[in-house]
Amino acid sequence: MLIMLAVSFGVGVLTHVLKLNNQQIISCSVFIMVIMATLLFWEYRLPIAFLGIGVLVGTNVLTLPIFIRECKLDVILFLVGMMVIVGVLKDLGLFTWIIQSVIKTPRMTGPMFVVIIIFLAALMACTIDEVTSIVFIATLIFQVCDTLKVRPLPFIIIAVLGTNIGSSGTMLGNPVGILIGQNATPPLSFIDFMTWSFPIMLITLVSSMFVLLWWYRKEINLLSERLFARREMNLGLGPLVNVPYKRGLAIFAGMICFIALHHYLERGLGLGPNTVLIVAPLVIAGLLMLWRHQRARHYIESNVDWWTLLFFMMLFAKAGTLQETHVTEKIAGYFQQAFGNRLSVLTPAVIGISALGSAFVDNIVFAAAFMPVVNKLQQTPLLWALLQGTCLGGNITMIGSTANIVALGMLEKRYRCSIKFFEWLKVGLVVGVVSCIIAWGCLSITSRYMPTLQQRLQRATLHVKTPHLTEPEIARSIKANETLH
Amino acid sequence: MAAKVNNSIRFSSLFTSKDVICQTTETDRNQLLKQMLTQLALVRGIGDVEEAYQALLERENEIPTVVGPGIAMPHVRLSAINQITVGIATSQKGIKYAPQIEKPVKLIIMTLVPKVAPGAYLQAMSSLAKICQDPKTADIVAELDTAKKVWDFFDQSGMTLKEHLRASDIMSPVTIKLQEHDTLERAIDLFVHHQVRDVPVVDKDGNLMGVVTTHELLKICLPDYILWVEDLTPIINFEPFAEILRKESKTWLAEIMTMDYATVAEDAPAAQVAKEFAKQRVDHAYVLRGKTLTGVVSLAMFLNKILRE
Repeated sequence: MLIMLAVSFGVGVLTHVLKLNNQQIISCSVFIMVIMATLLFWEYRLPIAFLGIGVLVGTNVLTLPIFIRECKLDVILFLVGMMVIVGVLKDLGLFTWIIQSVIKTPRMTGPMFVVIIIFLAALMACTIDEVTSIVFIATLIFQVCDTLKVRPLPFIIIAVLGTNIGSSGTMLGNPVGILIGQNATPPLSFIDFMTWSFPIMLITLVSSMFVLLWWYRKEINLLSERLFARREMNLGLGPLVNVPYKRGLAIFAGMICFIALHHYLERGLGLGPNTVLIVAPLVIAGLLMLWRHQRARHYIESNVDWWTLLFFMMLFAKAGTLQETHVTEKIAGYFQQAFGNRLSVLTPAVIGISALGSAFVDNIVFAAAFMPVVNKLQQTPLLWALLQGTCLGGNITMIGSTANIVALGMLEKRYRCSIKFFEWLKVGLVVGVVSCIIAWGCLSITSRYMPTLQQRLQRATLHVKTPHLTEPEIARSIKANETLH
Repeated sequence: MAAKVNNSIRFSSLFTSKDVICQTTETDRNQLLKQMLTQLALVRGIGDVEEAYQALLERENEIPTVVGPGIAMPHVRLSAINQITVGIATSQKGIKYAPQIEKPVKLIIMTLVPKVAPGAYLQAMSSLAKICQDPKTADIVAELDTAKKVWDFFDQSGMTLKEHLRASDIMSPVTIKLQEHDTLERAIDLFVHHQVRDVPVVDKDGNLMGVVTTHELLKICLPDYILWVEDLTPIINFEPFAEILRKESKTWLAEIMTMDYATVAEDAPAAQVAKEFAKQRVDHAYVLRGKTLTGVVSLAMFLNKILRE
């Protein structure tokens, strides 16, 4: 508590030196307080977040209408829908089928197992969410390692690193993705993510995989030996049952298609950008809950992580006050003063700062704070730089991402073992730095092909069916969109 | 007042020669027990004699406490006393103690313990363990012709009540165990035949390697990834169990045994056993001397001994 007070006080002093006004000082201090609470009092982060809102509202830094607007209910409802869908897919046996498919892979070797888990973790993180991905992959790892009597920790670390990298591939994987996608000006679509982020994710994933195959070569070789010995005895890695997976697979594929085509559906229906994207999971969840009505309440009560979602809401609202009090404008200004307008400098700066920040602070916290700054800089590649930096930075330390904490919690609960901070840091730093450098390189190459802010704004206005808009009206529409977001 | 030797209480300090009925002519067990209670009531005051007698009879009729050749140690918990009270009776010819006990009982050591002193009886019993195991003890004491001599016998034997109960005082020997080279097939046979839920696995030196539990076996048959599925259809005919049955003779115990079990050292306080039960939520705690398995304490047995015996 003393550390928190000292940090908050220090921030207050610093902001005074930087000539911020009282409201700006209060919003900065409360935001930093929440970050420190996340670091030092993880179990109490939600109550502290509630109290922070109380302080902001009580000091009139945050009004209720702004609070309701800034708590990003669209992002929250998107996540609610996704969590319900994941619960249904789990019930239907899709994840059981996936794990069994891995377990019964013929002639499995250690390196093959690592390739499978890293790609599976990444792809699941892309399509469902990172926490669900790591829970399932960890279960697979525990099953294999328990059967073969090998230490699961290296494989858990590999899976977590793959999950964090994979979560940068689409906007479904990480709340950071949907936050950046939805709050960019104008919003980014699923196709945008597939075009500009997914390929970078694949390249960083492959390069990180080679790093990890080398880093943990001893453990992987031991796994190979044990797999071979087990095969010699004609024994498998776990019981296999005939799971009726096809319904789950069909629902999963349908969900991905629906979300992937949101851009075209919005254009066809004349809806605003990302409207279908946000509502699609809710619609699918609603249909699924009607179908499986006996379990509907269970999905809402047990599968939706309300604790985390409420924390996100409070966090987004607090980040919103930084924007409302124009703190982010000032920071954007200082950023430009420090790094200029050149993308060749700004891109690595944003990647580096966001990676370093999200290494120590949960990546969603950092993204929520930094997003308005990046928006103000008005350069499209910086949005992708922020995404890559916050996702890849989550690999650097064991507290960098929710997936890390969940995985290590599962490991501790099952085996009563834990990992030291520096043990993770060694491999996390190497993978983090390598992947950030690759992301920087890829963005440097692709940035010249990315649409500019004006091109994106024009495209966004074409969503709305206004065949008789004149050019001045289009220009006004662009300006109005800018104000709205 | 109980005499202490190095913080342990001498057994002989728990009674005097006035508490001894020497070479009784009584042949009926129940009458003798009543006589002993009446004598103790006269000398020390033990509350309602009839109530104590009924409680004693109920216990002895259920399970006669014959602890050694010709030695019985009936006991009862009483609210009216606040320290352990001992009465002794000897019989030269011996008494038919119970229908199922063939050898006549020549030495009866009656122990009255305060109701709120869990484990007191066990402390008393553990202090007498050595003489109880000697087959000649009952005959020797029965031949002593005065109460003073009987008292001297116990005093000179140097028996002391330990300051606290130890794990070794409450453990039972391990009669069902597996060897490290056994397979799952043998483990399942033991589970079924002996109706046990866990079996320790030891190596050739008797060191505890791990424990095989029915719970672990169930987890192997139904791992987490199968339990995710809400629909029972894939397992409705116990398909995962069929898999296990196919491979039971090839599955080594090392694959299924758990290292997650409670252990206590032999000389650890019995309260440590309670702590392990509470902390680890297990039904058994294994007693070790170093790494060697020497006994087991089950939770049910533990509660019975501490709270009821």
